[in-house]
Amino acid sequence: MEVKIENLKKQFGQVIGVKDLDLNVRDGEFVALLGPSGCGKTTTLLMLAGIYKPTDGTIRFGDRVVNQVQPRDRNIGMVFQSYALYPHMTVFGNISYPLKLKKVPKQEQMERVERVANTMGIGGLLDRRPGQLSGGQQQRVALGRALVKEPDILLFDEPLSNLDARLRLTMRSEIKQLQNRLGITAIYVTHDQVEAMTMADRIAVMNQGVLQAFDTPEDLYDRPKTLFVAGFVGNPPMNFADVSVMAEHGGFTARNESIRLQVPAERGQKAAAAGKVRMGIRPEDIHVVDEGDAVTAEVVIVEPLGRDAMLDVRFGSDQFLVLADPQKHIRAGDQVKLHFDMDSVQFFDLQSERSLLWN
Amino acid sequence: MAALAHSDDTPGVLDVHSLLRTIRNGLIVVVALSLIVVILTAFLRPLIASVKVDESVTTTLAQLVILVLPYIAYIAAGSAVRDQLSDHPLRAVLTALLATLVLFVVISIGHFVFHLGPFVPTSSLEMTFTEAEGGALVESLVPGGVAEEAGVQVGDLITAVRRDPVTSGTLSALIARSAEDSPFRLRIVRGGEETQLTVRTVLAGNDDLGKLLPGLVVALIVTAVAIFWPGQWTPYVILLAILLPLLIGYFWLIIATFSYRTEGLIPLDGQGNVGGWTLNNWNFLFGADISGLNVSIWQITLNSLIIAVAMMVIVLLVSSMAGYALSRMNFAGRRAFLSFTLVLHGFPAVTLLIPIFFVMSYLGKVPLVGEFIGFNKPVGISLVMVAFELPLGVWLMKGFFDNIPWDIERSALIDGASRWRTYWEILLPQIRPGILALGIFAFIGGWNAFLIPQTYSTGAGTINLPVFLRQLINETAPVNWNQVAAVGMFQLIPVFIIFIFAQEYLLNIYAGGTKGSS
Amino acid sequence: MTQPTTTLDDQFTAAESRTRRSRKKSLSSNMAAYGFLAPAGFLVITFFLVPVVIIFYLSMTNLSTSNFTTDLSAMQFVGLENFRILFNDQFAAKIFFNTVFYVLVTLSLFNVTLALIVSLLSTHIERRAGFAFRAIWILPRITAATVYIMLWRRLAVEAPYGIINQVNTLLGQTTYNYLDARPWEFVIVVNGFIGVSFGMIIFTSAIESIPKDLLNASLVDGSTILQRIRYVILPLLRWPLLFVVTYQTLSLLTSFEQILLLTDGGPGLYATEVWSLTAYHRALSNYFGNAQWGYGSAFAVVLVIIGVVLAVIYMRVFRFNELVAEPKIEVL
Ligand SMILES: Nc1ncnc2c1ncn2[C@@H]1O[C@H](COP(=O)(O)OP(=O)(O)O)[C@@H](O)[C@H]1O
Ligand SMILES: [Mg+2]
Repeated sequence: MEVKIENLKKQFGQVIGVKDLDLNVRDGEFVALLGPSGCGKTTTLLMLAGIYKPTDGTIRFGDRVVNQVQPRDRNIGMVFQSYALYPHMTVFGNISYPLKLKKVPKQEQMERVERVANTMGIGGLLDRRPGQLSGGQQQRVALGRALVKEPDILLFDEPLSNLDARLRLTMRSEIKQLQNRLGITAIYVTHDQVEAMTMADRIAVMNQGVLQAFDTPEDLYDRPKTLFVAGFVGNPPMNFADVSVMAEHGGFTARNESIRLQVPAERGQKAAAAGKVRMGIRPEDIHVVDEGDAVTAEVVIVEPLGRDAMLDVRFGSDQFLVLADPQKHIRAGDQVKLHFDMDSVQFFDLQSERSLLWN
Repeated sequence: MAALAHSDDTPGVLDVHSLLRTIRNGLIVVVALSLIVVILTAFLRPLIASVKVDESVTTTLAQLVILVLPYIAYIAAGSAVRDQLSDHPLRAVLTALLATLVLFVVISIGHFVFHLGPFVPTSSLEMTFTEAEGGALVESLVPGGVAEEAGVQVGDLITAVRRDPVTSGTLSALIARSAEDSPFRLRIVRGGEETQLTVRTVLAGNDDLGKLLPGLVVALIVTAVAIFWPGQWTPYVILLAILLPLLIGYFWLIIATFSYRTEGLIPLDGQGNVGGWTLNNWNFLFGADISGLNVSIWQITLNSLIIAVAMMVIVLLVSSMAGYALSRMNFAGRRAFLSFTLVLHGFPAVTLLIPIFFVMSYLGKVPLVGEFIGFNKPVGISLVMVAFELPLGVWLMKGFFDNIPWDIERSALIDGASRWRTYWEILLPQIRPGILALGIFAFIGGWNAFLIPQTYSTGAGTINLPVFLRQLINETAPVNWNQVAAVGMFQLIPVFIIFIFAQEYLLNIYAGGTKGSS
Repeated sequence: MTQPTTTLDDQFTAAESRTRRSRKKSLSSNMAAYGFLAPAGFLVITFFLVPVVIIFYLSMTNLSTSNFTTDLSAMQFVGLENFRILFNDQFAAKIFFNTVFYVLVTLSLFNVTLALIVSLLSTHIERRAGFAFRAIWILPRITAATVYIMLWRRLAVEAPYGIINQVNTLLGQTTYNYLDARPWEFVIVVNGFIGVSFGMIIFTSAIESIPKDLLNASLVDGSTILQRIRYVILPLLRWPLLFVVTYQTLSLLTSFEQILLLTDGGPGLYATEVWSLTAYHRALSNYFGNAQWGYGSAFAVVLVIIGVVLAVIYMRVFRFNELVAEPKIEVL
C-alpha cells in the first residue's frame, strides 16, 4: 500500500508537532523516520494511525484519503516502544484480539494466531501473561499482534529502544527480513541512526517538526543536502570549519587562518563562488600521518573506542574529531600531523545551510 | 559540647546550672499551660458566652489542663536530665527530684491561691462527724453553717440518708460526690428519738495543708518514671490513650451483645451479680420478636443489602463511564465538565434534602419508572445516594484512568476496538484496585445509610438496618439495650469483615480520593 | 511561514473551511463522549441542578404543613419574606453562633490538631504498628451512625449504666448524665473522632513523601524529634494543612447526622442545634406537627450559597492545575 502525505501539519495549542510534511512511501517500501527526540516522529506516526487528527494536510493510503477514517478502518498494525500489551490477557488473548474484534471465527483465529506465533518464535508462550515474559518476548508478541490481521501498513515507534544491545541486533534483522518477505509497507520511527541506516530503504530525517531530507541511506551519508543532515548522520559526527574556497594555481584551495587544503576541482568549483562557506569532513577521512604536507594539531582528549582511538584535536580556532590507530599510542597534549582526504569533502552555504554540492 | 566540658569541671554531687535549667524547663511548662487556662477562662469563655452559645467546653478544657499541668511539669523536669543519666546517674536523679520539689512548691502555692487541685472547694454539710455504733456521730458544726441552720446538733447520730444506712465513711463519700445544693435527707437519732432533717450541700473552701503530702509523693514518682521511661514507648502510649474511648465503646458493644444487662462495662445477670452471659440477644436471627416489634430481620437485612449492592453497582458503572470520558476523551466542554465535577466534589449535597423530596415525588409520578425510582422505593433511595457519591467517584475513577499508559488504549483502537470496547475490555480490567476501592466505599456507604433512607422511606417495606435500629431505640420502652446492641453488632459484622480485609483501600479512599493531590 | 503567493483572502477561506470541517467532525466525536457522560449527567441534573433551582424557589414561598402541595405553581410566593424573618429571628442568631462554635472547635481540636498528632506519632513508630493505628481511626467512619452514636451514648449516660460514670463512682466523684450536663463536649468529640481520619491520611501521605534524605540530614545535625517536626516537617505540611482546613470546614458545616442522633439539637432549647440541622428539622422532621418547608429552605439556601462559594474557592486553590492535561487520543 502506498502512503502519500501532503502538507501535513499538527499543532498542540501553541506547540508545533509537525510542520508541512510531504512524504511519499512506495508500496512495500521500508521507510525510517529518523530524528532527535521530540522532533515529531511519533506525532507523524499517530496521525498515520488515526489516533491524532491532523491540523492540516492530507494523508492518502493508496488513492483513499484517510483523514476522516477511524483507526480500526485503516487496516494498519502498530508496534509501540512500550509494547502496549494488554496485561490482563494471555499472549493468545493479545494476539487474537484484533481477530476477535473482526469477528473472525474461533477456529480460524486459533490457526492464524498459531501461525503468527510460530513465525515469531513464541509458539510455546501462548498461555502466559505479558508480565511473565522478557522484553524481547513481549516485543515479539506485540509484533505478532500487529501482523495477525495482515495489515496493509506496519507502523513501528522505536520498537527496539527498550531492549538490550545484543537483542536489538537480532530483532533488527528479524524485522527487516519479515518485512521483506511479507512485502508490507513499513514506516519505522527511530532516533538510532544505525538502525535507520541498516534497515531502511529510505530515511526521512526530521528536525523540530520539519522534514530535513528524504533519501536512501547512501545518499544521506555521502551526499547530505543540508547542514543538519550532514551533522546528524554519521557517528562520530562530521567535522565543520568555516573556510573560503579559492581558485589558485589552476586548482582550488579551502583556507582559513589555520588550514589550507587542496580541494578536488568539481567540488571546489561549486563552492568557490560563495565566499565564506562551511566545510564538512568526516573523521574517518582525516588521517594521522608521520610526515608530509599536513596540518599540525594539538591533541586535547583521547578516547579509546577499541578498533580506533578517537582524538579530539585543536588547530587554530577549530576543533575536530579524528580517528587514529590505537597502536600509535597518542596521548593528550601530543602534537600530531593530520592529512585530510578531500575526495568526500562537503560544502554548505552559511545562510541557507544547504549543500553547495547536491542541490 | 559546652555542657559536656562544663560537667567535667564540676564533679560534685550537684550541678547548680543543670538544676536551674531543669527547674526552668518545668516552669516554662507551668507558665505555658497556665496561659492556656487563662485564655480559655478569661478570654474565650466570656467571648463565647457573649454570643449566647451555651457551652462548657472551655471550662472542661481548662479543668483538663489544670488537672494535667503539674504532671507535665514533673515529666518535663524528669526528661530534662535524661541526657546526663549515663554519665552521672546519681546526680541526674537528684537534680530532677530537687527540681520537682521546687516545682511542687510553686504549683501548690498556685493551687492554694486559686483554690485549685487539692484546695478546690468541695461539697460540704459544714459539720464534722466520726465513726460510731450505728452511724456517724456529729462532732462539731460550723457556726451559722447549713447543718446548724437545718437544726443538726452536736452529738446527733446520723444513721441513714433517706432509706440507706450510712457509716461516717460512706456519708463523707456521698457528700463529696454530690453536686452543689443537693438535698440530704438525714435520719438522725437524738437522745433515743429518731428525727429527719434535710440539709442542702454548699461548696466550702478547703485549706487542709495535710492534703499536699500524697501529692508530693505522686510528683516524685512521676518524675522518677519520667527519668527512666523508655522513650520509644511514648508514641504507642499516647496513640492508645487517644483511642481509648473508641476502643471502650466497641468493647462494650461486644460485652453487651452477649450478656443479660450491663452496668458500665460490667455484665450482670437478673439478680445484679456479675456474669449473666447469654445468647438470647441473638434470638432475633431465628425469627424471635425484637423488643416486641413483630418484624422480620431478614426482610430488613435484604433491604439494606439491596440498597448497598444497588449503590455499589450503579456508582461503579456511572462513575467509571464518566471518569473514562473525562480522562481519555476529547470533546467540547471537557474543561467545563471537569471544573463542574470538582465544584460538585466540594458541594454539600445534604443541603438539598428538602428539594430532593419534591424531585422524588415527581419521579414517583412518572409512569413505569416511577414504580422503581420514586419516593419510598429502595432503588430511588439508592439513586439519591449514588448521586451524592458521584463527584467523588468520577474524580477517583478519572485519576485511575489517568494512570493507564496511552499506548495501550491506542493499541486497542488500532486493533479495531471502539471506544466503548476499549473502556470495557481493555481499561476497566486495569483499574481493578480503583474499582475495588470505590466499590467497597459505595457498599459500606449504602449499607450504613441512615439519613437518606430515614428521610425518604416510610413503610416497613423499605426500612434498612440503621433506620430500624433508630426505631428500636426511639419507639420501644423500656429500651432493651442489650437487644439493640446485638442488632447493632449484626449490622456491624459485614463492615468489620470488610475492614479487616481492605484496610489499605479504605485508608486511601476516605481522604476523598485526594491522596497525593497536595 | 506564509508563501508569498497566497493572499490574505486565501488564508481566510482556508482557515474558515478548516474550522467548519473540524466542527462537523467534532460533533460526532462529542456524541461518544456525551454517551459516556449521560448517566452521570442524568443523576447530576436530577439530584443536584433541579433541586438547587427548586430550593431557591421554595425559600421564597410560605409552604408549610397547612398549605402543603408538591405542585410548584400552587405555592404561595412571598419573595424574600423568609429571609427577612430569618435575619430577625433570635434563635437563628443563636444557631448561627452555635454552628460557628461547633465548626471552629471541632476543626481546630480534632480535624487538624489531633489528626496532625496521630499522623506524626504513627509515622515515627514501627511501620506496621503505625498503619494499624491509622486503620483503627477509620472505624468511626465505617460504623453506621446509629451504631456509632449508641456506643458514645453508653459512655455518657447516667450511673449505673454509663461507662464514664462507672469510673466516677469508683473515684468517689459526682455522677451525672453527660449528654445533659456536657452536650457540646460530646457533640464535638463524637464528630471529631470521625473527622480525624481525613486529616490523618492527608498528613500521613505528606509526611511519608518528605524525602528521607531531608530527615536524615537533620538527624546528622543532631536535632531532636521535636526540632525535626518544628523545622522540617511542619513547614512542608503547610499546603496539606490548608487543604484539610478548607475541605473539612465544608464537611462540618453540612454534616448533622451525628448531632441528630446524639442530642437532636438539645438538651433544652437549641442548645446544640446547628444550621444544617435546623433546615432538616424545619422541613423534614416535623416533630411539632408543623413543617415549615419554605422557612427551612431559606436556612438551606444560606448553606447552599456558602457551599458553592467554598467549593469554588477550593477548586481554584487546589485542583485546577490537574485539569490542564489534555487527552492524548483524538479519534471518535
Ligand atoms: N498530545 C500532545 N500534546 C501536546 N504536545 C505534544 C503531544 N504529543 C507531542 N507533543 C509535542 O510535540 C512535539 C513532538 O513530539 P513527538 O512526536 O512525541 O516527538 P518524537 O516522537 O520525535 O520524540 C514535542 O514537542 C512534544 O512535546
Ligand atoms: Mg516518540
